Amino acid sequence: MNKLGTIIGFTFKNKARTKSFTVTTLIIVLLITIGMNIPYFIDKFNGEDKAAEAARIGVVADSGIPAAELLTAYTAPEGSDNKVTLESFPSAEDAALVKGLDEGDIEGYLTFGTAGGEGVPPVTYHSKDGELDQDVQMYLQTALQQVNTQLIAEGKLTPEEVTAMFAPVSIETRQLSGSATGADTAAQEEEDSPINFVIVYVLLMLFFLSIMLTGNMIAAEVTAEKSSRIMEILITSASPLTQMFGKVIGVFLVGLMQIGILVATIAANLLLPHNAGVLADFDLDLSQMNYGILVYGLILYILGFFLYALMYAAVGSIVSRTEELGQATMPVMMIGFVNYYIPTFSVAAPDTLLVKIASFVPFTSPLSMLLRIGIGEVEVWEIALSLVILVVTILFFAWLAAKIYRTGVLMYGKRPSIKEIRKAMKAYKF
Amino acid sequence: MEALKLEKVVKQYGDKTAVNGINLKVEPGEIYGLLGANGAGKTTTMRMVLGLIYPDGGKILYNGKPYSNELQHLMGYLPEERGLYPKVKVSEQIIYLGKLRGMSSADADKSLRYWLDRFEVPEYYNKRIEELSKGNQQKMGFVAAVIHKPKFLILDEAFSGLDPVNVELLKDTVKELRDQGTSILFSTHRMEHVEELCRNITILHRSNTVVQGDLREIKKGYPREEVLLRTAGDVSGLGQIPGVRSVQRTERGYVLSIGELAAAQRILQHALGQSEVEHFEIKEPTLNQIFIRAVGESNE
Repeated sequence: MNKLGTIIGFTFKNKARTKSFTVTTLIIVLLITIGMNIPYFIDKFNGEDKAAEAARIGVVADSGIPAAELLTAYTAPEGSDNKVTLESFPSAEDAALVKGLDEGDIEGYLTFGTAGGEGVPPVTYHSKDGELDQDVQMYLQTALQQVNTQLIAEGKLTPEEVTAMFAPVSIETRQLSGSATGADTAAQEEEDSPINFVIVYVLLMLFFLSIMLTGNMIAAEVTAEKSSRIMEILITSASPLTQMFGKVIGVFLVGLMQIGILVATIAANLLLPHNAGVLADFDLDLSQMNYGILVYGLILYILGFFLYALMYAAVGSIVSRTEELGQATMPVMMIGFVNYYIPTFSVAAPDTLLVKIASFVPFTSPLSMLLRIGIGEVEVWEIALSLVILVVTILFFAWLAAKIYRTGVLMYGKRPSIKEIRKAMKAYKF
Repeated sequence: MEALKLEKVVKQYGDKTAVNGINLKVEPGEIYGLLGANGAGKTTTMRMVLGLIYPDGGKILYNGKPYSNELQHLMGYLPEERGLYPKVKVSEQIIYLGKLRGMSSADADKSLRYWLDRFEVPEYYNKRIEELSKGNQQKMGFVAAVIHKPKFLILDEAFSGLDPVNVELLKDTVKELRDQGTSILFSTHRMEHVEELCRNITILHRSNTVVQGDLREIKKGYPREEVLLRTAGDVSGLGQIPGVRSVQRTERGYVLSIGELAAAQRILQHALGQSEVEHFEIKEPTLNQIFIRAVGESNE
C-alpha cells in the first residue's frame, strides 16, 4: 500500500537522522575498531623492545662447572622464540661484563652457588633493577630444568633418550558423533572451530543490542506521537495497523542498517593487513566458518525483531508521557534480557535442557536457537518447529498489538490498568 | 443534502455517557458551532465525526453515506493540542501528512508553499516546529489540517492562544474555505467568534444538547432584558419605573435590566422627560449570556 511506504520512508529518514542514533552507532563502531586492534597494538608495543633484540644474559662461572657449560650450550627447541642469548664470562668483575651492564647491553648475569649433590647448583640472577622479566625467567627455567635432567641422566641414558624425554606431548581432541559418516565428521569439525564461537558471541551481542535499541526507539516514537497529539491526525489519515507496521518496518530498516554498519566495521578491521596475524594467533580461520549461522541468524534476527518491536509498540501506545515509558517497557526489557543471557551463559554448554527449552519458547528462541545452530547440536526439524512457533506467535502479537495500539493511542491520562485496556478494547470494534 | 449528519449519536465510556444522543446537520459551505463547557462532550463528538472512535449508538452520515476509509482523504483536523512533530522540519512533516491524506509529494509541496505565502511566513519552510512560537505552531497545525483541501474540516479550539492579528487572519481563511464549500465543525469558548462565523450552533452540557438551532432564532427565543440608556444629564427615579428590575450606573449612562419589553418604552419616556437622550438600545442577549444561562440553568 502506498501509505505504508510513505510511513516507512518518513520513519526511516527521521530515525536514522536523530542525534542519538548517529552517536550510538559511531560509539559502537569506535569501540569495535579499538577492541579489534588492541591485540595488534599490544603486540606492537611488546615487540619493540623484545622481539627486536634478544636479552643478553651473562653466565659467570669458572670453566669446569658442567652446569654452566651445558647451559650456554642450550638452544631452545625449534619454533619457539629465542628471546635470550647466554654468554659466559670468567668472573663478575670481567671488564666486558661490567661495560655491558653499564651500557645496558647486558640485562644481568647468573652465578652458581656450591653444588649440594647431583644436578644444577642453586642459581642467582643479578641485575641492576633486581627484576627478572617473565619471558626470560621462563626461558631460564626451561633451560636449567633441561640441564638438570641432563646432569642427572648423564651416562645412564643415551642422548636419543634424553631428546625423546623433552619432546612435547601432544593432545588431540575429537568429538564423538552418532553417525560418523565422512561428511558429518567434517561438518562437526567445522562447527567446533573457534571462529563459530566467536561468530555466535558476536551475533548474540549484536542482535540483543539491536533489538533493545530499536525496540525502545519504536516505543519512544509511539509515545512521543501520542503525547504531541499528532497521533490523532495520523489515525484519521491512515489505519492504525498501517501505521504500526509502517513504523515497525521503518525502524527495522534502521536497525538493519545499523547492523550493516557494524558488520562492515568488523569486516574492514579483519581485512586490515596487520590484523591477519592476530586472527591466526587466536586460531581463527574464516574459511572454517559455518555460513549457516549467518543465514539462520538473519532469519532469527528478523523474526525476533518483529516480535519484540510489536511488544514495544503496544507498550508505547499505552503510555501517555515519555517519562512513564521506562517503567512501562520494563517487563519487555526483562524478557529481552532473559533472551540474551540464557544463550550467553550457555556458550560453554550449548546443549543443556534449559537452552533446548528456551529455543522453542518464542520470546527466547531467536537467540537460543541461534546458539544451538551455531555451536550446539540441533536437528533440522527442531529449527523448523522453533521458527513455526515464532512466526505464529508474531502473527498473534501483530493482531494483539494492533488492537492494543488502536485502543491505547487514544487513551490519555494515567497509565491504564490491564483491566481497563481490555474493557476499552472491547469497546472499539474493528 | 447535508454534508454531515449526526443522528442520535451516543458514546459511552464504561458507565459514563460522554455524548447522549446528539443530532446535528452541517450543510456544505457552513460553519457549525459546537459549544459547551469543558468536558461537555465536544471533543468526543468531533472524534466520532473523524472516525477516531466509534459511536455506541446512532448514525453519522457523510454526504448520506456512513464512514469509510475513503473519507480519510476528505477530512481535515486541527486538534485542540497542536499535533505536530516538534523536531521535524515544517516542510517534511506537512508534506508527509499531505501524502498520508492522498496527495502526491509535488502537490503537497505546492500547497504548503501557497499556505506559507498566504500566512506571510515562507521562511518557516525549513524550520523545525520547536523553533516556532506557540501561535505560529498553531498556524502550521492549521496548514497541516487544510493542505489537502478537505471537504470536512474539524477545528477544535482553532483560535485559542493566537494574537488578534492572527485570529483575524485565520478567521478570514476559515470564511474563505466555507465559501469554497467546505463543511466546518468548529468548537470554541470564544462566543464572539461563534456569533461572527456560525449560522447554526449546538450547546452541549454534560453530554446533553441543551440549546440547538439557528443562532438568530435562538436569540429571538430569549427575552430581551437589557436596556442601554445614555443621556446628556442625570436621570433620577429610573428604579421606580414598573417592570425595571435593576439599574446600573456606568461611566457614560445606565444599564437597566427589565422584566417585560413594555418597560423599555416607559424608560424612554421617563428619560425624555428629564434630559436629552443620546442613545437608547434594547439589547439582544449575547451568546455569552445565552450560554451561561443554558449551562447554568441545567446545572441547577
